[in-house]
Amino acid sequence: MKRIVILFATSFLFLAANGQKFMTKNGYIGFFSHTPMEDIKGDNNQVAAVLDIPTGEMVFQVLIKSFHFEKALMEEHFNENYMESDKFPKSTFRGKITNLSSVDFSKPGKYDVTVEGDLNMHDVTNKISVKGTIEVVQGGLNASSKFNIVPEDYKIAIPGVVRDNIAKNLEVTVTIKCAPVESK
Amino acid sequence: MKTYIKILLGVVLFIALAGIVVGIHFFRMPHKDLGKAKPDFIITAVDLQKAFEDNENAATAKYVKKILEIEGEVESVKTGEANVLNVSIKSGSDLSSVICTFVPATDPAKFTSGSRVTVRGECSGFLMDVLMNNCVLVK
Repeated sequence: MKRIVILFATSFLFLAANGQKFMTKNGYIGFFSHTPMEDIKGDNNQVAAVLDIPTGEMVFQVLIKSFHFEKALMEEHFNENYMESDKFPKSTFRGKITNLSSVDFSKPGKYDVTVEGDLNMHDVTNKISVKGTIEVVQGGLNASSKFNIVPEDYKIAIPGVVRDNIAKNLEVTVTIKCAPVESK
Repeated sequence: MKTYIKILLGVVLFIALAGIVVGIHFFRMPHKDLGKAKPDFIITAVDLQKAFEDNENAATAKYVKKILEIEGEVESVKTGEANVLNVSIKSGSDLSSVICTFVPATDPAKFTSGSRVTVRGECSGFLMDVLMNNCVLVK
């Protein structure tokens, strides 16, 4: 686990050497599952993210145990049966904006972006490509995205008896508000 | 019908009903109210962050999913998605702190940067900071 932290910290330092970067440790990632049987929502408000401006690179990292559910039992099942968060406590996304030239970081406004990269969770890494927006605001950057993931793509086994209670496609929402990192 | 069959049926019915009630209870059970729960550990934010920094595996085994009561100095107060309150508590490190996410409807005005607080919450582990969830303000 230390290695992941070091990796994250060094990518952070690497980005630092390259120019202006923005970060947050209070970002939000949530997922939503809707089926006729029940709705399940998990929220994580402790997302760490770093965005590098000149390169369009970004790193997101979360602790699986920081996902919060309305019911205690859902949280327990999520951690113990599905995500096995004792074995795989973290999830990381490293990606890059593919249409960087369409964002003017010097001009406040909302820009549509496409981000491609590797999403790692439950010890499985998949390439994903998602659409989102970057909003250039006074003193920071806001970013958001909504996309779908399939639990089975990450070898998350959902037993047959409850398979109908969990959507085949989970809707993931990401919102972050980043502040510029001052170089020390 | 023989009496013992009646009794047996009654017992079976009672067990079945009890099972359903207990099942529903567990299914709908809310999270622990940490305002009332007894902490497993009482520790300063500085010592907690240091424990994870020094040996993450040992600290994870000791503190994660436990109820901690931590004391320290407020570094920053942020409200995020759906007005969720995140308060960072200072550690001995410049890059890392203890981030506490509070239960809904906690008043951010109770926290000012630089003041000392005692917070009870559940430890989720270490990312770049020690992360605490389901937190309540003790004082």
